[in-house]
Amino acid sequence: MTRHLDKSHFEPKLSRRGFIKGCTIAAAALGLSDEMVPRLVEAAASAQKPPVLWLHFQECTGCTEALLRASHPDVGRLILDMISLDYHETVMAPSGNQAEKSFKDTLEKYSGKFICVVEGAVPTKDGGIYCKIGGRTALEIIREAAPKAAAVIAIGTCASYGGVQAASPNPTGAKGAGDVLGMPVVNIPGCPPNPIAFLGTLLHFLTFKRLPELDQIGRPLFAYGRKNHDQCERRAHFDEGRFVEQFGDSNHMKGYCLYKVGCKGPETFANCPAVRFNDVDVWPVSAGHGCVGCTEPNFWDTHSPFYERLPGVKIPGTGGIVHDVDSAGKKILGIAAAAAGIHAAVGIGKRIVKGRGKSDEDV
Amino acid sequence: MTYQSRYAWSVLFRLFHWAFALSIVTLVVTGLYVNSPWTNTVLEGSRSFPMATMRYLHFLAGFIFASAVAVRLYLWLFGNRQEKFWDSAPITPRNIRNLFSTMAYYTYLTDRHETRLGHNALAGTVYLATIVLTLIQLVSGFYMLYPESVFWQKWGVALFETQQQARFIHHLLMWYFIIFAFFHLYIVIWNDIKSPEGLISSIFCGRKFHRSSS
Repeated sequence: MTRHLDKSHFEPKLSRRGFIKGCTIAAAALGLSDEMVPRLVEAAASAQKPPVLWLHFQECTGCTEALLRASHPDVGRLILDMISLDYHETVMAPSGNQAEKSFKDTLEKYSGKFICVVEGAVPTKDGGIYCKIGGRTALEIIREAAPKAAAVIAIGTCASYGGVQAASPNPTGAKGAGDVLGMPVVNIPGCPPNPIAFLGTLLHFLTFKRLPELDQIGRPLFAYGRKNHDQCERRAHFDEGRFVEQFGDSNHMKGYCLYKVGCKGPETFANCPAVRFNDVDVWPVSAGHGCVGCTEPNFWDTHSPFYERLPGVKIPGTGGIVHDVDSAGKKILGIAAAAAGIHAAVGIGKRIVKGRGKSDEDV
Repeated sequence: MTYQSRYAWSVLFRLFHWAFALSIVTLVVTGLYVNSPWTNTVLEGSRSFPMATMRYLHFLAGFIFASAVAVRLYLWLFGNRQEKFWDSAPITPRNIRNLFSTMAYYTYLTDRHETRLGHNALAGTVYLATIVLTLIQLVSGFYMLYPESVFWQKWGVALFETQQQARFIHHLLMWYFIIFAFFHLYIVIWNDIKSPEGLISSIFCGRKFHRSSS
């Protein structure tokens, strides 16, 4: 692991080599041929750095962390190098009034030109009082900034679809940026999302002056166009029916498919198996844990229990009694059989009481 | 009292019925396996592909199921008199009256019931609901089968939002079809005992014994 102690980690300046490497990674993630790398390089090296307003709302800063500590130490640095990050509460130097001033200045000076990145969900209940920055609600801030931006990028599942804040019962009425704004937003979901997806979107925008192609729920197709399951390195075990029965068993040690312990790869659109994380080529499944589907809307509600395939059925009128789907189905079938049995018994009883002659033929 | 043998169900209708019935059985068996594979190959290099095989059979049966539904929809519009939509759907005064009288008949409140060559209105109502649920089942199924197709994504996202929700609804509806099949069999046998018109054999030969009014 000595390479992780490489001195480039501590080098504040991005080397030419690292710069080209970062652009090449982004080109590969976007599915562009290597002939396009010079164009990406040109766009990224342009003297006109697009100003970026980075808004933090209901979030854990994990997305920023994932970006700044991205592996190839160059990716985070490349992003910071090719944009002018005018406002970002975690990494900017100014604070207080000075921070507010740089926010206002960017809005005024670069109206229609800056990129607005949203991290975290926006609470909407009770006028949005559950998230305030500088005395203003998140709702006010995003509604002021986003319509003036050239593009709005929601980074992380919270900003995209509400995330854990929006999980049932959603006490603060948290929503994703797209829902709050009612305008098209590029969603880069994930908990955290892969920095390469963000880098690729940004470079695509800088190079081609337009946003990448999106799927039905606003995710760039280059990163979220395929299911994890269809790119998984354990897929052969799935097809051949070799499964982990429980964590820590011998099948788990042999690296078999995690389908039976609730892996949500078959339900999740992302490129984790292809791009992986943190320069050490890992993602949850390669580390022996199923995918929880963190790039999907409402995954906290619909993908849980995380170690089972399907959520339970809520039985109405019982105040939240939840039942496993198949056992509920079997019980309903049992009730149906009992009902049919009673129905048949009533018919037979009636025939005995009334006598056989009273049947249909005489009606 | 005389009974007349009368032609009720066309060949296409009977083919629909059996394609529908047998595909449902196959879909339930393979679907339960795909959701919760109860085997474990363990041995590597055994050249057996249980999950791939079950999925293949599931998709094959799914296409037969989809074709059967398409045939039923066609027959609703262009089938013979008994097969047409307005002969049994609860949309005409005749059928609404029949819906309630059939319920009374089925709950032993009366022995009197309208003799029909086609479905009674209660059956027509349940079949209507079943076809609607069938369409939902097909959309969720095709959304999962073709996750990358823009067409199915549009439908899938509009109806279910995510793949997981589609899978959940797909699984719940499977239980509807199991329970539907159970009640269908029970009611058919019950009717066959109560009124001897050869209801069960009519789905093989197409002919029913219809009581003539004379």
